[in-house]
Amino acid sequence: MSLSRLIDKYPYGKAPLALLVLAVVSVALWFSTQKQREKRPDLIVVTFTAPHQAAYRKALPEFEKQYHVKVDVQLAHWGSLQTRLQNAMLADTDVPDLVEMLEGSLGFFARGPKEDIGLVDLTDRIEGEHLKERMVASRFSLWSARGRVFGMPHDVHPVMLAYRRDLVEALGIDVRELDTWEKFNEVGRRITRDKNGDGVIDQYMIDLPSGGGYGVLIMMLQRGGQLFDEQGRPAFANEITAEVFRQYLEMTLGQQKIAYECGWGQSFFKAMTDGLALFYITPDWRSYTLQTDLPRLSGKVALMPLPAWEKGGRRTSVWGGTGLVITRRTKHQELAWELAKFLYLNPKSLGERFKDTNIIPPFKDAWSLPEFSVPNSYFSGQPVGQLYAELAPQTPPFYSSPVDSIARAKLDEAYTRAIEHFKAHGQDGLMDVIRKELRLAQDDVMRRSERNQVLEQGK
Amino acid sequence: MAQTKLQYKSWVPFAFLGPYLLLTSVFFLYPFINALVLTFYQTNGPKSRVFVGLGNFKYLLSDSTFHQALTNTTLFAIASVCLQLPLSMGLAILLNQGNSRLKGFFRLVLFSPNLVGQIFVGILFSVLFTPRYGLINRTVQGLVNWGLEERWLSNPVLVMPAIILTSLWLWVGFNMVYFLAALQSVDKSLEEAARIDGANAWQVFWHVTLPSMRHVVVFVVIMSIIGSYQLFELPMALLSSTNGYGPDNSGLTVITYLNEVAFRSGDLGLGSAVGWVVALIIFTVSLIQIRLTKVVED
Amino acid sequence: MNPLQITLLALGATFLLLWAKSPKNPRYAWRFGRAVVLTLASVAVLAPFVWLLAAVFKDRSVLNEYMFFPPLADWSKKTMNLENFSRLFQGRPSVQGRVYFWQYVLNSTMLATVSTTAQLFFSSLAGYALAKYQFFGKKALMACMLGSMMIPGVLLLAPIYAMAVKFNLVDSLFGLMLPGLVTAYGIFLFRQACMAIPNELIEAGRIDGCSEFGIFFKLVMPLVRPMSAAFCLVSFLGNWNSFFAPNVFLHSQDKLTLPVVLNLYITQYENDYGVFLAGTALAMLPPAILFFALQREFISGLTSGAVKG
Repeated sequence: MSLSRLIDKYPYGKAPLALLVLAVVSVALWFSTQKQREKRPDLIVVTFTAPHQAAYRKALPEFEKQYHVKVDVQLAHWGSLQTRLQNAMLADTDVPDLVEMLEGSLGFFARGPKEDIGLVDLTDRIEGEHLKERMVASRFSLWSARGRVFGMPHDVHPVMLAYRRDLVEALGIDVRELDTWEKFNEVGRRITRDKNGDGVIDQYMIDLPSGGGYGVLIMMLQRGGQLFDEQGRPAFANEITAEVFRQYLEMTLGQQKIAYECGWGQSFFKAMTDGLALFYITPDWRSYTLQTDLPRLSGKVALMPLPAWEKGGRRTSVWGGTGLVITRRTKHQELAWELAKFLYLNPKSLGERFKDTNIIPPFKDAWSLPEFSVPNSYFSGQPVGQLYAELAPQTPPFYSSPVDSIARAKLDEAYTRAIEHFKAHGQDGLMDVIRKELRLAQDDVMRRSERNQVLEQGK
Repeated sequence: MAQTKLQYKSWVPFAFLGPYLLLTSVFFLYPFINALVLTFYQTNGPKSRVFVGLGNFKYLLSDSTFHQALTNTTLFAIASVCLQLPLSMGLAILLNQGNSRLKGFFRLVLFSPNLVGQIFVGILFSVLFTPRYGLINRTVQGLVNWGLEERWLSNPVLVMPAIILTSLWLWVGFNMVYFLAALQSVDKSLEEAARIDGANAWQVFWHVTLPSMRHVVVFVVIMSIIGSYQLFELPMALLSSTNGYGPDNSGLTVITYLNEVAFRSGDLGLGSAVGWVVALIIFTVSLIQIRLTKVVED
Repeated sequence: MNPLQITLLALGATFLLLWAKSPKNPRYAWRFGRAVVLTLASVAVLAPFVWLLAAVFKDRSVLNEYMFFPPLADWSKKTMNLENFSRLFQGRPSVQGRVYFWQYVLNSTMLATVSTTAQLFFSSLAGYALAKYQFFGKKALMACMLGSMMIPGVLLLAPIYAMAVKFNLVDSLFGLMLPGLVTAYGIFLFRQACMAIPNELIEAGRIDGCSEFGIFFKLVMPLVRPMSAAFCLVSFLGNWNSFFAPNVFLHSQDKLTLPVVLNLYITQYENDYGVFLAGTALAMLPPAILFFALQREFISGLTSGAVKG
């Protein structure tokens, strides 16, 4: 029988036949490429960010040799990791031993009664080894729920301002004088203008998101405000937040604005290259992004601490955070704890990790490692590690809750209402509106978290 | 089609349907019942559930965020039907009247957005919508001298239009292909007859062509509506810089809300309730749709 | 007045001119207008792809400097190169050793082709049964099928995941395929297509002594080939680009599919857009080839199937 007749005999037609052939071929190929699966590694660590995975894999061989075990570090998309972990917890099934989680996600797991929390309670271990003194204590707030600690903080993420040193110096600005937001805004108003006369302002002082977002949150935290209190109750409807709203509105809207939203990715990099804004909010992880994605600006950028709210006040804030949790289903709890400590407290690997990521660890002893005081040529020779480390002890705490993302959205909503009022009426009655909206937003979040009947019963 | 005596053994249909029935009962029915049961509970963690009866639904009734999600999604569905489909139809008509070589080319080009996944489209367009430098802002500025600075994804008013615009890019070509196929099967003699009777092009279309494509149109409309209410990956990828919901929740859809409530806040019961409301809405709309077409037919 | 506005005005003027030439029978004007509209639509659709192409070949350091391609004067090894592809082909680390791009292509291919072939088979079986057989509960079953399409899939994720773990289907490509082997959408499509087959043909087959399955396979399926091709295309597209389910079900680094692994290049703290886009561009090729080859069958499949009531 000729080939074409064979093809004709396949009932579904030519294309489906091609697919069938391809299917058979690919299955055969796939089986032949399946390497002999080694037994399940003793410990599986899952993270969601590639630099961490790379850093951990570098450090692991020493741990594996010391304890004669095999450890696998997997990378997963954050959304899927969260879903996977949640589903695994809900179904009470096999989970990875250690998981790196993003800030704000602990709330989901700490929602139910204490026996149900699928993560190992690390409070006693941490207190036993005095880790809260040896690490930046405020970072444990991210990984605490109802008074117990469930995760080890990976980082501090203090926030500084990165600025185009060449442009700022050319304008005759001395950044050492910008030690309060008041002074900062004053200078900002002076230099925000249309440079080339085409009617569009092309020089702003600072890059801030116009809708509030992370900008408002960072300023709130710097000033001592909070989204949630230690018990996980919403706590953002207060004078501090209202004041931040007002300041932020003045900076980003209206005649006196000094801020432009440069966005992310391509537009952000173009803005920075063009000098569209002079100052950029830069936690330690973002400083590394600048180094890798904007090599052209090497030597033209420098860092300065955030201007304080009042003279002598806190000069930094926090943005983001990752932590390591140990799942309760792990078969090697002690080993997992040793691995967590190894990954986060081992000075040798911490030094290298800083070199590869610019992220400073919360482990205070590590800050005296030589890598942290190396002058960074990208940032005009500044010792980036030291600069961030100096600010690290001042970082504000950040408490979590299951309704974390809803609270953030509600905060944004309140800010949007404030924007609407500001655009229509300016400063007239602004503070009253802000206070009212904040109260409404907080009540809504409160209603949501009060639905949690299990917590009520368990109390 | 009546048959006096079955000419095949009675178990034959079930043999044919066997795989479907088996797979469905395992992978659909069981989760479905699970979700149904969960609707009346509030979950917290793997083992704890609290029976709340209709509590979840009561909460949704007064939940302003849920209402906003519903409004957004309904707006999107209306835009899909009233914007997307006429565009698809228009392009299909234009494409139909041509020589076949170019036809194939244009068909491929206009369908091509569907070759990539929704996630990629969302990410791509989030870059294209950037103010001042993005492709879309620059183009609009070039055309009407406005909009260079407009922040599509940070302005609550412009977020839904941005989502709609993205969905237009993605799905106009897809529905166009359906309409094109339908147009090609319309009886040309009917159209000729109408033209000879003196009807102009629009009348021919409205009174002859469109009714003979009725079934496809209904099918496409229903699929559009169902698809709109299940919109999930696109807004999440597009608005990923604001948690996936947009400023002031302007990009929140019912399914992203479901995801938030069930998988971020942790209450699967409430998430189930949201899912049921969505299913109910889709069902009602489709029912109305089908009834309306029957009425028009008669 | 910028080039864009000038071009549009020129096109509009040409259209009006052609119309003015023969107002009673504006055939040329319409043809011109038709061509313009279609071209503009195509440009609008292709523009993002051009951006993609430009981004893929730009060097990482200048990705953010130029919107599309750099001006010709700036073209050099430093600005335009194949770096993104070489990083893409470098592979990713895993406990089984380095995993290379071809492995992900293989995974995706296997998932998409096997899923589509199985879906084709089972959906056509069930669709034919619904079209040509009468049996108890048929109407109820069809109503339930229709209803099942309206349930948001996200809702069922948690229980399906729990079951998948119980049956040991997690972290397996075959396990991922299993829940989706038959789709209600496919069944309805084939039902439409099969209903157009004349009953006399089927009865003739029975008289000839063919088994029911034989009738299905040898007589009916060859007649609905267009629909099969159409369904294959849509199915393949869906399976090739599916992200959500593989994202949750696949854990081992060497089992990931293309959409999942490409997204891993855009992580929370580090993005390598160039590699992501390069991978996406490559991942677009198989569906594009398939569509190109199947265009005609696809259209005629839609004509014969979903079109008729």
